[in-house]
Amino acid sequence: MAEVLAEGFNVFDTGKSPSGTVKYLSSPADVISLIQSGKLSEHILLVQGGTTTFLAPALSMGAIGVITMSGAPESHLGILSREFQTPCVMTAHLTTSESRYVVGATDSAHFEEIAKELDGRQVRLDCTDHEVGRVVADD
Amino acid sequence: MTAPVLDKTDYAVLNVVALKKMATPQVVAAASGVDAASAEAVLAGLGDQGLVVVAGGAALPTDEAEPALAVAAASHYAGVRADAALLALVDRFETVNAQFLTTMSSWQQIDVGGRKVANDHSDSEYDGKVIARLDKLITRLGPLIEALAGHDARFTLYSGRFAAAVDGIDGGRHELVSSPTTDSVHNIWFEFHEDLLRTLGRDRVE
Repeated sequence: MAEVLAEGFNVFDTGKSPSGTVKYLSSPADVISLIQSGKLSEHILLVQGGTTTFLAPALSMGAIGVITMSGAPESHLGILSREFQTPCVMTAHLTTSESRYVVGATDSAHFEEIAKELDGRQVRLDCTDHEVGRVVADD
Repeated sequence: MTAPVLDKTDYAVLNVVALKKMATPQVVAAASGVDAASAEAVLAGLGDQGLVVVAGGAALPTDEAEPALAVAAASHYAGVRADAALLALVDRFETVNAQFLTTMSSWQQIDVGGRKVANDHSDSEYDGKVIARLDKLITRLGPLIEALAGHDARFTLYSGRFAAAVDGIDGGRHELVSSPTTDSVHNIWFEFHEDLLRTLGRDRVE
């Protein structure tokens, strides 16, 4: 069985199981250059927050999958991902780490650890469970 | 060299681009209150200042846009930030906003035996209840929008946009509830919330 790298909230159940290279996006400029590169559909997008509003253009331009490190499925990004039917795992944590996101009490080391582990990895999203979304190694 | 603070027109246009993340001059005009021809000229000027880039006929904010807006908002909206009656309404908005997000999710998904499944919109009674709830929540924004409009008339545009979306929904255009590609209730609400936070110089709570 493929290795589960990270788990989080599954925003909506879907049989879609997109695969691609994880791309960490930290600013609007990252999103603009990814869209302009024409390679949006090759990547699973990783962002820090569920309120990371700069991701909206990427979703409307055909992003295939999203991972966030904080935020809830009821947030703006969750609502958008359901509208666009873009599989989305929110508040993902590494299965190899004890570190968990806690609202208002999470330092940058938590996010850095996840970004370092996932950025550049070939993964597939498994969003078939009604609660848990999984980021699976697809190397 | 420090860049000059954006004037009200530049602010209104850049604010809309930043809220929408991607917007044509026509869309900017409709949401900013600046006419279409002027919006195009203002966008060109903002492009020269490195605050927007134009790609495929639409303007996108650069990384410099948010800081420039934050500086201008602090200057233009000092009065809003000191208006105690308005701030009391803002406190109440947080509760309404949480109810709004839950209601929007209930439009998209229904609870079947503890499991969330996509709302296929076959139950018009259920949908009608969700729409009625949204309508009530929008009505509850009224006093806050009015208070903001007392400081800057551009906020009244939100009332007009909400009214147009609600009219469309009542006329059967249900995509105006949550579609991200129309001027839907969800889009307008989200933009209003972001605009409010910028006006007050506050960060989003997650």
